[in-house]
Amino acid sequence: MDRAEIVHDNFLRRVAADDLPTGAAPKAGLDPNMAVEVFRAQVTSRALDRTSRRMQKEGQGFYTIGSSGHEGMAAVARALRPDDIAFLHYRDAAFQLARADQVDGQTMTWDMLLSFACAVDDPISGGRHKVLGSKALFIPPQTSTIASHLPKAVGAAYSLGLAQRHAPEHRQLPKDGIAVCSFGDASANHATAQGAINAAGWSSVQSAPLPLLFVCEDNGIGISTKTPQGWIAASMKHRPGVKYFEADGLDLYDTFAVTQQAAAYVRTRKKPAFLHMRMVRLYGHAGPDIATTYLPKSEVEQDEANDPLLHSARLLRDAGALPLNRALEIYKQTQARVDGVSHEAIKRPRLETAEQVMASIVPPSRDCRPSNGVTTQARAVAFESELKAQSTPQTMSRLINWALTDLMLEHPEVVMMGEDVGLKGGVYGVTQKLQKRFGPSRVIDSLLDEQSILGLAIGLGHNGFVPIPEIQFLAYLHNAEDQLRGEAATLPFFSNGQFTNPMVLRIAGLGYQKGFGGHFHNDNSLAVLRDIPGLIIACPSCGADAAAMMREAVRLAREEQRVVVFVEPIALYHTRDLEDGDGAWMDTYSSPEKRIGLDEVGVHGNGRELAIVTYGNGHYLSRQAAKILETQGIKTRVIDLRWLAPLPKSSLLDAIAGCDNVLIVDECRGTGGQAEGLMALFVEEKVGNFTRLVAQDSFIATGPAYAVTMPSKDSIVEAARGLLKRDEQ
Amino acid sequence: MTRRAVLICPGRGTYNAPELGYLKQHRPQFGSVLDGFDAQRVALGQTTLSGLDNAERFDPNVFTRGDNASGLIYASAFCDGKSLQDDIEVVAVTGNSMGWYIALALAGAVSDQDGFRLVNTMGDLMQRHLIGGQLVYPITDENWVVDKGRQHDLLELVRRIDTKMGHDLCLSIDLGGLLVLAGNEAGLSAFEGGVPKIMGRFPMRLQNHAAFHSHLQTDVAAQGRARLSDIVVKSPDVPLIDGFGNIWWQDGCDPAKMWEYTLGAQVTETYNFSKAIETAAKEFAPDIFIVAGPGNTLGGAVAQSLIGCGWKGMQNKADFEALQSETNILVSMGRKEQRSIVL
Repeated sequence: MDRAEIVHDNFLRRVAADDLPTGAAPKAGLDPNMAVEVFRAQVTSRALDRTSRRMQKEGQGFYTIGSSGHEGMAAVARALRPDDIAFLHYRDAAFQLARADQVDGQTMTWDMLLSFACAVDDPISGGRHKVLGSKALFIPPQTSTIASHLPKAVGAAYSLGLAQRHAPEHRQLPKDGIAVCSFGDASANHATAQGAINAAGWSSVQSAPLPLLFVCEDNGIGISTKTPQGWIAASMKHRPGVKYFEADGLDLYDTFAVTQQAAAYVRTRKKPAFLHMRMVRLYGHAGPDIATTYLPKSEVEQDEANDPLLHSARLLRDAGALPLNRALEIYKQTQARVDGVSHEAIKRPRLETAEQVMASIVPPSRDCRPSNGVTTQARAVAFESELKAQSTPQTMSRLINWALTDLMLEHPEVVMMGEDVGLKGGVYGVTQKLQKRFGPSRVIDSLLDEQSILGLAIGLGHNGFVPIPEIQFLAYLHNAEDQLRGEAATLPFFSNGQFTNPMVLRIAGLGYQKGFGGHFHNDNSLAVLRDIPGLIIACPSCGADAAAMMREAVRLAREEQRVVVFVEPIALYHTRDLEDGDGAWMDTYSSPEKRIGLDEVGVHGNGRELAIVTYGNGHYLSRQAAKILETQGIKTRVIDLRWLAPLPKSSLLDAIAGCDNVLIVDECRGTGGQAEGLMALFVEEKVGNFTRLVAQDSFIATGPAYAVTMPSKDSIVEAARGLLKRDEQ
Repeated sequence: MTRRAVLICPGRGTYNAPELGYLKQHRPQFGSVLDGFDAQRVALGQTTLSGLDNAERFDPNVFTRGDNASGLIYASAFCDGKSLQDDIEVVAVTGNSMGWYIALALAGAVSDQDGFRLVNTMGDLMQRHLIGGQLVYPITDENWVVDKGRQHDLLELVRRIDTKMGHDLCLSIDLGGLLVLAGNEAGLSAFEGGVPKIMGRFPMRLQNHAAFHSHLQTDVAAQGRARLSDIVVKSPDVPLIDGFGNIWWQDGCDPAKMWEYTLGAQVTETYNFSKAIETAAKEFAPDIFIVAGPGNTLGGAVAQSLIGCGWKGMQNKADFEALQSETNILVSMGRKEQRSIVL
């Protein structure tokens, strides 16, 4: 027999017979009527679980990971405020239902059934996914099974304190709010979770305000792998900076009382706390998972005997809040009500076309207060003696620094964070003096953890800031890329554009640093970013472009709520010359109003024989090569893509129009590099004669061979001549 | 098979000339209840409901007064609500504006006589003080589709007028396709002067209506609480949906809080009838929505509210009419031809 039905029958039989599990007496603190409301939320959650399974069997529902056993989360919700932003575990339907009781006019039964049915009307995801979430309830949608929502919870908590000092125009969270995030005991082992808890403690011991409540829902098992007895308590009880609380998640009174204490601590002390709750898991992991295939039946039955709803019935009776017959009646009526509503929910239309599914990949624009720009006086104070230097040619590093300064002057919601971005001013000096100019609260020296840096940015984005996080080297992105791929980029998609986390992620990267660092400081693959829907990749190749593109990137984030990755070629940061001593790779600082739009490519030269399509270091090398090719009589133009995703197709095709031959120069690896997309585009668009020169599928070596796997000036010349068959003439 | 119904109680303005004599039909079944209502009125020196209901002609100056209309509507709706066929299971009760008081009684949260006292007292207080007034203005097109742009612009106009010195104006009731505004004379006049006249009658003032559901009634609410402090309120026997779209369940209901709402926010803040209907639909998915009499003016607002929340996929009047002809999803007991469906 289906375990869900066994649990259901158990409830009906045992409550009717007053055969209830034993446990502690109800603690004080929970008002009798509120206790009944909590129970109703628990029962509704259970009814939704059962209904979701029926819907799936009937081909009308598409998700069966339930919340049964975790209904104690309803009491957690009631001990918090409904505007405390909550990043929830996927077993927290009861939390969402209980929170809905705190906000006027919610129709959460209907809303959640729409979500099961993947109906277009689903108010959180628009039918894209079964997620918990609600704009009105301050619950951003999560799909995470690996606690990847914890770093952004840390960020959101940090934003609460930061917003007290610099309230952003689009602030979302209240002054005295806290953040809460919940996760299972198995997920607590994940590096992402550990990193987030560590980051919270790290910040807390340094007295940074971080009002965050971690809630670990410990049901003792992750799918089939048991959590060692006492593991969570042992590993979390003594974390520096994070106060530990413990509650019996089967006991709504105890859960409420302990959560109240924990929340009060977090709210008043502005410090993180870890609430460890004992739970049981009923029905196995998900619909198709049968727990008795890997657990002794006796253990499964033991958990079922401790069904939190049975405990609730006992506790409510003992507290004088609800007699057993009424508990049974609420249970039956709720089952019938949810079942009835589900028959309407399944009739609602579902998404049908790719266009519908993709409609929320790009978030909606938002109105921003118009700015009058930055006053001369403010600029003079910020730039000091550097103001004078702005009329003389400068390197890319310096120009990015100045652009960032102007942007931070103009937009107080812009905040930077990263390893060494503050005091040191960045590994390559790009962020020098910014912390002095804007203070440590806007230029944040983070701990050495890329997941935490991105989580901080995402969390700040949730609260109206425009974060500019920095990843020190491209290769360091990889241990954190899920924060972009699985979290930041998906938020508008899963929330139907209601939640956003705009940012401009600066990454120093790509190859060609002479003799420094080898692969880990010269990574030349952007493949991990290229295919993320909605993500914008910018890659400037010179200082003038970098400043103007940075301004556009911030505009895209601030006004259009986009996630932009701004890849800065390290080897060009301090490059001065195209050829020895010519100073041609430096530029004067452009007016702060000048921007290069998302679709604008750079075109250098007007030759009709050869167009070299490239970006970043490839652009620099191609310009050198073009000079040689010109001396050889090959009329060349060089096109700098500037924006790698989405590919600026139209302006690129315009730029190569009239050219007989096209050479793609891609400093990234052949496999997964930009050249793949460009080749496909040229085939599809029936561009004439073209080929590509790309980096080898290799890692980068240290020492003299640092550049041998990548395109060079000479290899570009050679490839161009080959394309034009000049060597055969 | 049981028909699961949401019962909807009407507000002011529903007992008009065609309804004269409406109570007579209930006399055989509810004679003692109606006698009780009349006794209360006699004690207060008011004309009895029977006397009013049996009048030879409908005099608007008499019948639209709060101290008369409220009791007549309460008594009519209460008896209607108690007369439903046995196969109808009322899964939730709600109401519009004053209909909340009737809903309380029909859900068993107050006794029939206390419910009458509540409504009669509040009607009397409203009439006695007659602070401000109400007007209505439509926001739908002829297909009952809300013009969101117009709605936004109108509410923005209301907000702007309200900020002017000496002007009070706010949204009183979100009533399906109608905005009901409450304000003082300056506020109402400014609105009337600021919008085009449409359909020959809107904006339309509501005779003898005070500025219900607005902060202008704060004192009236306080007087109501003082005069009615001895009314016994208990948890409802069936779920009640209020003017915020919240549900008051049979268990876990705090009667004191419900009373606080009844003579607090319910009186002084916007009554969101559209939201109440949306909650009724989405949380109970009833087979049928029954609007208790008298009158049939609330049916349109119910239909428009259902269209507004896309219930059963309805997008416009034609969708509603199609569904209605197929299933009789909405029954207005004030309409003779529909009354028999539920009686």
